[in-house]
Amino acid sequence: MSPVSSISSPLASLYARVAGPGNTPPILPDSHKIGAPTATPAGEGFAKVFDQLVGTVDSKQAEANAVTRNVLVGGQGQLHQSVIAMQEASVAFSLMVQVRNKLVDSYQELMRMPV
Amino acid sequence: MNLISGIDITSSALNAQKTRLDIIAQNIANAQTTRTPAGGPYKRQLVSFETALLQQTGEGQPALRGVQISNVTTDPSTGERIYDPQHPDADSQGIVTMPNVNLAYEMVDLITATRAYEANLSVAKNGREMAERTLKIGQ
Repeated sequence: MSPVSSISSPLASLYARVAGPGNTPPILPDSHKIGAPTATPAGEGFAKVFDQLVGTVDSKQAEANAVTRNVLVGGQGQLHQSVIAMQEASVAFSLMVQVRNKLVDSYQELMRMPV
Repeated sequence: MNLISGIDITSSALNAQKTRLDIIAQNIANAQTTRTPAGGPYKRQLVSFETALLQQTGEGQPALRGVQISNVTTDPSTGERIYDPQHPDADSQGIVTMPNVNLAYEMVDLITATRAYEANLSVAKNGREMAERTLKIGQ
């Protein structure tokens, strides 16, 4: 995978998440890509991992919501389980933000490269 | 994804201590109960814990064990017998058998359970802070 496509494909998956299914991200023609094409197809590799990370963070937040609602309506849930689930969701979200920051940093670093 | 180390184990311990606190609350609440569905005065309940296998971390690594309530037993000792002929639960000699709950013991158990709960809360807080500090490596 070329350096630019290694960044553009995770960003493309983010774009697909935000824009919703059906909207395909803008794909640059192959002539704009730098470097030789490699065996990793688009949408796999790091993009897939990041996509799974976003999905996991989302499910953790949904789980925390469910446990908290269960406590509030007087179900079987315990208070500490609710708080722990919220903390886990918070840490997972921070991790996702850190990964995103690193991604954007590396992209900007590449953009500053004098050609 | 296990982001906060040992949080499942701490959660199981908090669950167990919460149940213990509930049982102590029940003992204190029923310290003067002389009538139960089973007949006779209330009997003090005791909680015991056992380890529970929560997760196998990997081949050759120690299995992480949480804690769970093994069983709730009844204290078999007899309660105080007081003479109170006007009590509705007094026997033909006017003797009432009170529950075998000793408030001093229950208060000591209450303090122990509260401290154990707090200790596990500290572990949970520490785990979260460690994760947050680790995430700050990149900043």
